[in-house]
Amino acid sequence: MMSHIRRTLSLCRSRSGVLQPARTSSASIGGGGDLVLQSRSTDVFQNLALEDWIDANVDLERRGVLLLWRNRPAVVIGRHQNPWNECNLPAMRSAGVPLARRRSGGGTVFHDLGNLNLTFFSSKKTYDRQRNLRVITEALRRICPELDVRATERFDILLNGHFKISGSASRLSRKSSYHHCTLLHSADRSALAALLRPSCPGIHSNATPSVPSPVTNLLDHAPTLRWEELLEALVHQYNAEFGLGSASTPVDPADESAFPGVAAAAAELRGWDWTFGRTPKFGVRTLLELTDERSAARGSARLQVEVKGGVVQSCELDVPAHWLPRRLSGELSGVLVGGRFCPHRAAAVFSEVTRSESCELRGRLRNLCDAVVSVMG
Amino acid sequence: MLSHSRCLTRNFGRSLSAIRQGNNALARRATTALSASHAITLNSSVKSDPRSSVFQIHYFRTSVAHRDEVVTVKTPAFAESVSEGDVRWEKAVGDTVREDEVVCEIETDKTSVQVPAPAAGVIEELLVPDGGKVEGGTALFKLRKGAGAPKAAEAPKAEAPAAAAPPPPSAAPPPPPPSAVGPIPTAMPPVPPVPAHAMDTKPVSAIKPTAATAAPAAQAEGGAKGARTESRVKMNRMRLRIAQRLKEAQNTCAMLTTFNEVDMSNISEMRKTYKDAFLKKHNIKLGFMSAFVKAAAHALADQPAVNAVIDDTTKEIVYRDYVDISVAVATPKGLVVPVIRSVEGMNFTDIEKAINLLGEKARKNELAVEDMDGGTFTISNGGVFGSMFGTPIINPPQSAILGMHGIFDRPVAVGGKVEIRPMMYVALTYDHRLIDGREAVLFLRKIKSVVEDPRVLLLDM
Repeated sequence: MMSHIRRTLSLCRSRSGVLQPARTSSASIGGGGDLVLQSRSTDVFQNLALEDWIDANVDLERRGVLLLWRNRPAVVIGRHQNPWNECNLPAMRSAGVPLARRRSGGGTVFHDLGNLNLTFFSSKKTYDRQRNLRVITEALRRICPELDVRATERFDILLNGHFKISGSASRLSRKSSYHHCTLLHSADRSALAALLRPSCPGIHSNATPSVPSPVTNLLDHAPTLRWEELLEALVHQYNAEFGLGSASTPVDPADESAFPGVAAAAAELRGWDWTFGRTPKFGVRTLLELTDERSAARGSARLQVEVKGGVVQSCELDVPAHWLPRRLSGELSGVLVGGRFCPHRAAAVFSEVTRSESCELRGRLRNLCDAVVSVMG
Repeated sequence: MLSHSRCLTRNFGRSLSAIRQGNNALARRATTALSASHAITLNSSVKSDPRSSVFQIHYFRTSVAHRDEVVTVKTPAFAESVSEGDVRWEKAVGDTVREDEVVCEIETDKTSVQVPAPAAGVIEELLVPDGGKVEGGTALFKLRKGAGAPKAAEAPKAEAPAAAAPPPPSAAPPPPPPSAVGPIPTAMPPVPPVPAHAMDTKPVSAIKPTAATAAPAAQAEGGAKGARTESRVKMNRMRLRIAQRLKEAQNTCAMLTTFNEVDMSNISEMRKTYKDAFLKKHNIKLGFMSAFVKAAAHALADQPAVNAVIDDTTKEIVYRDYVDISVAVATPKGLVVPVIRSVEGMNFTDIEKAINLLGEKARKNELAVEDMDGGTFTISNGGVFGSMFGTPIINPPQSAILGMHGIFDRPVAVGGKVEIRPMMYVALTYDHRLIDGREAVLFLRKIKSVVEDPRVLLLDM
């Protein structure tokens, strides 16, 4: 734990020329200065679990910690958000982009290898988000003086007064706090736009909404800015602003001996119960367009679902009697209640119902089932 | 004067303890109030009798519990000139919380602030709805302190920490053996210590009604303390529907099962020989399912009755010239039965590709209704869980189901000698209203012959 980090820290100091040398010679245990850690993992769940681990296990009263990390493509929603309302779940599924829910508040972000994440850990007394953002803006000013980067009151960082290159979120626990933010270096903007477009219609909820803003990459405005250069500048500025200087230490969140309990934490973050089940109560009210392939007839049905904890509490499917017998639509809506609001589960459940129905209504029944399943993302 | 009063209290004490030891609940209640004030004198006078001192101690505790404090917890002040936030509840009314456990979170402008419980207790009331707005200092919730207190006082005695909601009579049980819930024990359990004090008999009226939140997990922990609670969970509609259909199938079909065994040596050898080349050419693994699916398709083409189904409403037999095989797959989320369509025209490779595709879809949670709908015959593989032998149940509206089981090395008679061969028992459950015994047996034997020697397919035997 702490001692391990200290040990690796002293190891780093003894290696010369590889990383930035420590400014102080008092490299003893508990030696001053904040810690700078860089995660080796690009798995969003492991990195989020590492954040939680540091928040829970490192004594932040005496020193702060800066964690630098980036993830393979993933969509990360805030603690109290509604994923059905924030992103395009079917597109994410087919692109293999996972969804993660973080523990801090705020809005939805798209992570990929061109998006740098910084987490500033501190005690509640020394929690100061503007100071953290200054680290970023000052670092950028040094290496790209031609760019106009400014932090706003809402803790965003804007480039040229207009484009957002960084957004923040934070979490205040009992004894500690962390403030993390993104920094767009070279993210895939088209993927970002496509995946952050909500696909589920008719959602009524009081979950935290996201505030969309136009974004841009640093690389688009400073084409010679390399990733390593950016990292170095940030570490340097962090040391200048906060501590007596520490080299950036690589850490591996998959290392259970260094971070006991981190694998279990990552597994919890991966689970459906955390990612989807933690959504605040919401309702879905939408109109379904129905077609009958054989006769080319058209119809419509009203769907009303109440979901709490990711589980369907009630479901009303109002299909006109001439389209399908009420018994069938009643069966479909009844069989959803008590199960997860999940298209996969709905499909399995519906196939049980449709399996034993006669052929002539099959087509319409199938069509209705598909329409309901598509509402679930 | 002094001696006289001492004598008086001694007598008073004795008569009080006499009343207490009786079974008169009302009398006991009455004496509680008295004992509180005459604490010291009573204690000394009945020190010799352990039973009544337990009752005394018990009643001291009850009287402390009656003086529960209800604290109102307010919203903490927000940092950095933020004025209001949204409340998200983590706990509900009636939940027991430990000191410092998070009760709710307040979201203010991208920050999530945890609000912990100031002390152990039970949540009495939530003063703001979920998602409601609060400002610094707004009252958030009411906590009744001290419900955890009797447990805390017993903590030195009791070793099991039982943080779950305490089951009703929990006042003075004998100390439970440590680690009541753990791995299967390999040694004899230790003899539980004989309780120093007799089991407490609290009058029913003195027991405070606690919310019956006994979940099965709490039951397991409370099991050590002798709590025997039941919990009732309503069946969800999906389960009800499946149950109803299975029973319908059992009631309408004349279901019986015929068995056979399959020697897997040849097919294992074929697989071993070709698996690398197969993987290289087709980019997917060669498994056993394709052999059984192809065998079933071949046998179904041969015995159309097994591929047919009785329509009870019109009293007709529906024969189908296509073969759609449903493959039962157990996923962590439950049983799904994706369908491989038109298997009669496929070879081993096509079948493996179809199985692979369905497997991918199942993993990525993309199985649609049309992937799982219909099917004329089902194959279920209990072998993946180690089943040796078993009778599958027909998946309506079909007429038969093939059950595959585990492959185990068994001594079998081959050419007059005993050899060890990898053997699998297979079972065919069928609807006797439609399929005769002879047809069913021949059908299963055909599957056996194809899997034992795939050359049969080439020669259309």
